[in-house]
Amino acid sequence: MGAMTSTSTLLAPPRPAVARALAATKVYGTGDQAVRALEDLTVEIPGGRFTAIMGPSGSGKSTLMHCLAGLDTLTSGQVFIGDTELGALSDRELTALRRERVGFVFQSFNLMPTLTAWENITLPFALAGHKIDTEWLDLVIGTVGLGDRLRHRPSELSGGQQQRVAIARALATRPDLVFADEPTGNLDSTTGAEVLEFLRAAVRDMGQTVVMVTHDPVAAGYADAVVFLADGRTVGAMEQPTPERVLDALKTIGS
Amino acid sequence: MLRLVISSVRAHVRRLLSTSLAVCLGVALLAGTMLLGDTLRANFDSLFQSALGSSDAVVRSSNTLTTDGEFAQDLIDGSLATELSEIDGIAVVAPQIEGFGQLTGADGEKLGGEGPPTFAGNWIDDPDLNPYELVEGRAPVTNDEVVINRGAADDGDLAVGDRTIVATPEPVEVEIVGIATFGGEDGLGPTTFTAFSLAGAEEHVTGQPGGVTALLVKADDGVSQEAVVSRVADVMPNGVEVISGDDLVDEANDEINADFVGFLRIFLTVFAAVALLVATFSINNTFSIIAAQRQRSSALLRAIGADRRQVFWSLAGESIVVGVVASAAGLGLGFALAQGLKALFDAFGFALPAGGLTVSTTTLVIAPLVGILITMLASLAPAVRASRVAPLAALRDVAVDRSASSRWRLVAGSVMLAGGVVAVVTGASSGALGRAGLGALLTAAGIVAIGPVAARPAGSVIGAPIARSRGVPGVLARRNAMRSPRRTAATASALMIGIGVVTVFTAFAGSLKSSVDDNVSAVIDGDLMIAASQFGGGGLSPGIVDAVDALPEVDHAVGVGTGPVSIDGRTRQVTVLDPVASTGLVVPDVVDGSAVAELGDEQVAVSEPIADDNGWKVGTELDVRFTDGSTEQLEVAAVYEPSTTIQDLVVPTVMWERHAVQSIDTIVVIGAADGVDIETARSAVESATTTFAPPDVLTTEEYVADATANINQILGLVYVMLLLAIVIALMGIANTLSLSIYERVRELALLRAVGADRAQVRSMIRWESVVIAVFGTIGGVALGLFLGWGLVTARGAGSFPIEFAVPVSQVVIIGVAGAIAGIVAAVRPARRAAKLDIIDALAASA
Repeated sequence: MGAMTSTSTLLAPPRPAVARALAATKVYGTGDQAVRALEDLTVEIPGGRFTAIMGPSGSGKSTLMHCLAGLDTLTSGQVFIGDTELGALSDRELTALRRERVGFVFQSFNLMPTLTAWENITLPFALAGHKIDTEWLDLVIGTVGLGDRLRHRPSELSGGQQQRVAIARALATRPDLVFADEPTGNLDSTTGAEVLEFLRAAVRDMGQTVVMVTHDPVAAGYADAVVFLADGRTVGAMEQPTPERVLDALKTIGS
Repeated sequence: MLRLVISSVRAHVRRLLSTSLAVCLGVALLAGTMLLGDTLRANFDSLFQSALGSSDAVVRSSNTLTTDGEFAQDLIDGSLATELSEIDGIAVVAPQIEGFGQLTGADGEKLGGEGPPTFAGNWIDDPDLNPYELVEGRAPVTNDEVVINRGAADDGDLAVGDRTIVATPEPVEVEIVGIATFGGEDGLGPTTFTAFSLAGAEEHVTGQPGGVTALLVKADDGVSQEAVVSRVADVMPNGVEVISGDDLVDEANDEINADFVGFLRIFLTVFAAVALLVATFSINNTFSIIAAQRQRSSALLRAIGADRRQVFWSLAGESIVVGVVASAAGLGLGFALAQGLKALFDAFGFALPAGGLTVSTTTLVIAPLVGILITMLASLAPAVRASRVAPLAALRDVAVDRSASSRWRLVAGSVMLAGGVVAVVTGASSGALGRAGLGALLTAAGIVAIGPVAARPAGSVIGAPIARSRGVPGVLARRNAMRSPRRTAATASALMIGIGVVTVFTAFAGSLKSSVDDNVSAVIDGDLMIAASQFGGGGLSPGIVDAVDALPEVDHAVGVGTGPVSIDGRTRQVTVLDPVASTGLVVPDVVDGSAVAELGDEQVAVSEPIADDNGWKVGTELDVRFTDGSTEQLEVAAVYEPSTTIQDLVVPTVMWERHAVQSIDTIVVIGAADGVDIETARSAVESATTTFAPPDVLTTEEYVADATANINQILGLVYVMLLLAIVIALMGIANTLSLSIYERVRELALLRAVGADRAQVRSMIRWESVVIAVFGTIGGVALGLFLGWGLVTARGAGSFPIEFAVPVSQVVIIGVAGAIAGIVAAVRPARRAAKLDIIDALAASA
């Protein structure tokens, strides 16, 4: 385990956490059928970084993301985005939080099929009834490179283009953090690499915070840091990961 | 396969339930209609049996003029009775006088009138021949003694020994000496009956001593009705006929069946047809969606070796289960409905003779069979489509209903629509009602066929204001509604057909109402009117005109009566009035000849369409046969525009009275004297006519309101129909929405994840529903108005002219009801969509 903790953690400047889970426990079902998806898990997501969450199937990585993003609630423990404790929020407040402070990129089906790319990107503004931040949006759209495709419907876009629209939508509100759930799972490796580059660019060039759930060591290699999960607990972390090191670490967890 | 069907039904039980409800309601209406029809027929049969069946033969005048159910029969010579009683095999001969007479209750109010007939006649002494039976007091002896039926006695709080007034329509002061029942009941349904002695009836009811309406004949035991009839026929003079008791019952049955029962049946059958039609659309839609959703499992079945027929039956079998269950439930509901309607009739005073529901095998077979068949028929196309799925489709991804509108459909639909519109328009302009009706059907079918083509642009237009005003949910609602035009159209079709039919009825009733209004104000120029009730043969005494005319507050007044005559063998309704008195009060719009006020004693005026049809002109001599059988040659002096207030011909009172059995006015039109205000004149007229106990004195406007009151009642029924159609269509919309939500579960999850709150999701579903509902409603109203225009115009002129008028307020009500239906239909689906579990939905592999 110790091998995975790189010295760079000590060297990296301390960053304030944009999201935290404290003693997070999530139990699905009751009695004999109960499944403990998260078990007293504590983790901090530092701001301005690209963090990957990895772990084998059933390790709780998706549950952790859902709970951090306010899509799901904990059985016990606390989740914070900034200083906001999500457990204390009503459904309406959680909705507003997702709309304004969190961005999502899912593996597939990221876009409303009846809306154009532009309408999908600006959907959070429209839902909130807020004015569009034009300057920021221009920057986002320029970064993901969609200029000429904005009037197209999702069905007229390739898988890679659809994911780029989804990233633009996730970034549009300049959220506290963006969650990406296996964003390259449905893409070929070249297109997947492009999408990961965009996510990294969002962090590096635009100062955004991205949390990505993945089981792909190559994808994790784009992140600034990796948090490893197994059986609902954190079992390690790695700074400046490379695919090889991640693969090695995963082997350790798996055994 | 059967197990597959059952498990599938069980899995979709909720959705199928709401589809079943549509079938169930349709079958219930159909069964209810048939049951009620049979029951009424049986009840009337037993009623007539007891009212008329006691005679073995009836002798009556053969001069019968029948028009629109009213009939005026000439009298025969009562002395024939003596001759008859001498015939071998005849036991009793009883003279019968029938007419009308309205009783006055203890509180001074008239009994009956606005509804069931008020009969008056003579008391028949022979208990076998008299359907009435004394339960109190005795038979009338002097001319001013009467027996009344128990129902009338109870209603009017009258008892033996009381004195009251009977308007025949001359007011006759009488003493009640007896109370009678009819076959053990209070009366013949809700009618009232006043029986004088024979002499009393001759004096007061017919005013013709020696004349009787009929002679009732009772045969000796062992002599058949046929024998009596043939023996009597041998000795009868010209102008008199004899009919057996059985035939008389049949005749009465035929009349009531053709008339009242027939109308009721048609009306209820239209209800049932609309319900079933709407149900067919709902079922088709539901099964289409089920088939589309199940595309993958159908394909999987095919891939693992099921043949097409098996896939077909897996869906068709489901429709049979739905059809059978829903039809069985519908049959049960039909019984309840028939009971309820019967109770309703009783409550409205149409008290029918006792007796439970008459259940025929036809009802038990036909009603459910129709339900099962339409269910199967509606699911045929979806089942065939499901069976054609390629096995490979199992491997494809999403199974969403993407069926678009086909070219074939567009072409066929356009051809039908164009043909239908042409037929309606030409039918309307040439007065060919049949062609217009056929065109109406074609138009409706065409519109349904091209619905999917229209759905996208229509959804776009209807949704535009919603998208503008409701933010993202509005935009999404509009686009979702435009997304599968076929589904949107099929869902809206149910509502469209229902609303279309209702609008046709509304347009017809509205046109009728405005025509009555126009007609009355065009012809009646008086200040005040007294009008007899439109039913029941009640009338106004000619004495009323005289009494009113004498008042200083009144300039002059005219009495207007109606009755039948026969010209060239055809019965015509005539308006009877005194031409001079009608000056300035009743003024038909004369297009040729002199004014009606200048009509001579030997002259008549004719309405234009009748004149045109028969080639009559001013100066034509007509042979007019009156109810007493005699014929007069009368000259056409004027041709006037047809009107609802004036009949086919106008005949001067002088001429009419020469041949009339009972001279009765139906309306009295009064002109107030100069400088007298209407209210003063009204109270003067009221006090001058109290002895006649006439109906209320009305202004022309009040009269129109009264005359159109029953049209309002019909409209009330139409609204019930509207409600029914909407309820069924509503379930269809809710069904479609639920299925759409099921398919779009990931979209909903995504929306929620990126920040749509529950209210926004609900709003999206609700407005999609409104777009669909408004599409159906607008289509239905447009269709209904067009067809209403076509049918009303084709029905066109004639003796009772109707001009098309758009019933604006009703159309607005229908439109609003349609839109509200959309909101209501969305309530449950929207709530379910908003409650969606985001995580589960995101995880759903679609």
